[in-house]
Amino acid sequence: MTGEWLPACIYWSLTALARATPLLFACLGGLVSESSGVINFALEGMMLAGAFGAVWAAHAFGSPWWGLLGGAMAGMALGALHALACLSLRANQIVSSIALNLLAAGATGTLLNQVFQAYGTSPTVGRLPSVGEYVRGGFPGEAAWGVRVLDALPLPALLAVGCTLVVLFVFQKMALGLVIRACGEDPDGARACGIEVARVRFGAVLCSGLLAGLGGASLSIGALAQFVERMTQGRGYLAIAALILARWNPKGVLPATLLLGGAEALSDWLAVAWPRLPHQGLLAVPYGMCLLVLAVHVGRRRAPSALGRL
Amino acid sequence: MSVRYSTTSRMLAIATGLAVCAIIARGAGVGPWELVKAVIEGSFGSPQASAATLAKVTPLVLNGLAVAVAYRAGLLNIGCEGQMTLGALAAASLATRAGEWSGAVLIPATLALGGLIGAVWAMPALWLRRRKRVHEVLTTLILNTLALHLADLLVVGPLGDGTAIGRTALVARQAFLPSWEFDRGAAVSLAPLIAFGLVVAVQVWLERTVWGFEVRATGMGPLAARVSGIEAERWQRRVFLLSGFIAGLAGTLEVLGVHHRFYRAFSPGYGFDGITVAFLANGSPGWSCVSGLLMAMLRSADKWLQLSLSISPSLIWIIQAVLLLSVACQARIDAVWPWMKRVFGRLPGGPRASEEAQS
Repeated sequence: MTGEWLPACIYWSLTALARATPLLFACLGGLVSESSGVINFALEGMMLAGAFGAVWAAHAFGSPWWGLLGGAMAGMALGALHALACLSLRANQIVSSIALNLLAAGATGTLLNQVFQAYGTSPTVGRLPSVGEYVRGGFPGEAAWGVRVLDALPLPALLAVGCTLVVLFVFQKMALGLVIRACGEDPDGARACGIEVARVRFGAVLCSGLLAGLGGASLSIGALAQFVERMTQGRGYLAIAALILARWNPKGVLPATLLLGGAEALSDWLAVAWPRLPHQGLLAVPYGMCLLVLAVHVGRRRAPSALGRL
Repeated sequence: MSVRYSTTSRMLAIATGLAVCAIIARGAGVGPWELVKAVIEGSFGSPQASAATLAKVTPLVLNGLAVAVAYRAGLLNIGCEGQMTLGALAAASLATRAGEWSGAVLIPATLALGGLIGAVWAMPALWLRRRKRVHEVLTTLILNTLALHLADLLVVGPLGDGTAIGRTALVARQAFLPSWEFDRGAAVSLAPLIAFGLVVAVQVWLERTVWGFEVRATGMGPLAARVSGIEAERWQRRVFLLSGFIAGLAGTLEVLGVHHRFYRAFSPGYGFDGITVAFLANGSPGWSCVSGLLMAMLRSADKWLQLSLSISPSLIWIIQAVLLLSVACQARIDAVWPWMKRVFGRLPGGPRASEEAQS
């Protein structure tokens, strides 16, 4: 019995990490943007754009690695639009976000039709290998137990954890992190110190788009191997919820997204373990859990004080 | 919080948005006039198309009204989609079961129940905003997803008609809203009239009563409103519930006036379109009738666009997004406005912003 528990636990936590990967990328994106003082509810649209961009690039260049780049670029393009509207054209940041989410839904649908002559779903493209497959690619032959377990871990998950560490390092150890946070907490003070607030924010929103785009790519060419219309299904909003749970603290991002990713993994597991449970109820598990955690989560929530102000 | 602009400068913003849309259409290989022609043909080209467009006006105008009224109190209600869906489900379940009630009782009761459920579904967002200071945009978005799954679950299970399609039974005959059939297969029900009446009522309430003034003052500056003795928090709460009620009503009218039953994936995004309607109308209930009609035309023309110009119906989403973005960027358009006025002579209107007073 005990011999089976350990692998099951490891397998389950790896699944949770795999399910949390898109959320983790998007949540990091939200963190970077909101720390600099720009509200970003457009994560959903950026993820969707990233998911499509990844499939498009993977299809066009014939390799999922290009897809990763394409996803990042597509997310960044939407980030550029958000920055342009909010910072250069002084739009309401929430309204701009909503518009960009609509734009991403419309543009991906239209492009899906124009590029692939398809409605709803794209043709399948190459998928990124899982970590296990990647390692085994170097050492062909019978794999060890540890490597086989790693088959459950898609490669983007590792990349996401890496990005988390980088963001953590930037925010905790580098002057750049301080500069970004200064723009979000007290833009006038930052300006007085000679920081070009608008430029920093522009960069932060671009970076946010890049990360969210990677999140979308990890969904379309990491988990699946194709683009499905509106495949993000509100994960961008869950990422913002995770950001609130993490209290805009870079250290809290990984635990918060793992919690929500774990809820998704749990709903997958329940669907297999009790097939008689209605699947609509199971699909709602992460969202219900999210609302519940927001409701019982104690402690003061403190957003960057200049969030949403120019 | 909610900055409003004069009608003229809003028109300028919408014109800018339309110009950008024309450029995008050019990119998709369609001339701008072809696009306009296709939209008009698709929405009012035949009696049947006109009926379909008018049927779409009701939910769009009402959802626009719901978003607008909350926005005037300084809140954003993005949860209309969920509130509308659950309101419609509750309404359909009542109207299918109360077979022996007369229409004069059943229709108002159904409307009240649908609206009430919509308001109830807005409550958690209020609670979380007040107690935990979670932004209502986030909570209403999550509540949307939950509502859609919940409605799916209920309509396949206990509230459905027992088939696997996922729909309720047809509502009782006397609960159908009276409708006027002006051509074969083209009928328009009383629902647009009810929606219009509601818009007028809310407009008068907001602009001509003390309570409406208090709501508007709350939206312009909650702190200033509180200092001058207005119960700002309480008004925000009441208006948010009203917003949920109106969204629930939109769903109910959709059931009673158009489909006469509830089915899975009931709303094709009307709740989200309501946001566009409200912002194009600058948060004004009266203007949301106009922008609601525009959105209804775009929505009902999307299949026709596919047939006649063979472009994806998703293009409608892009047009909507561009329009929304252009009105969101109004502040910058306004900054150019005084300059344009100098160039083109004195035109009526112009921004009401303080920039003029300063210069």
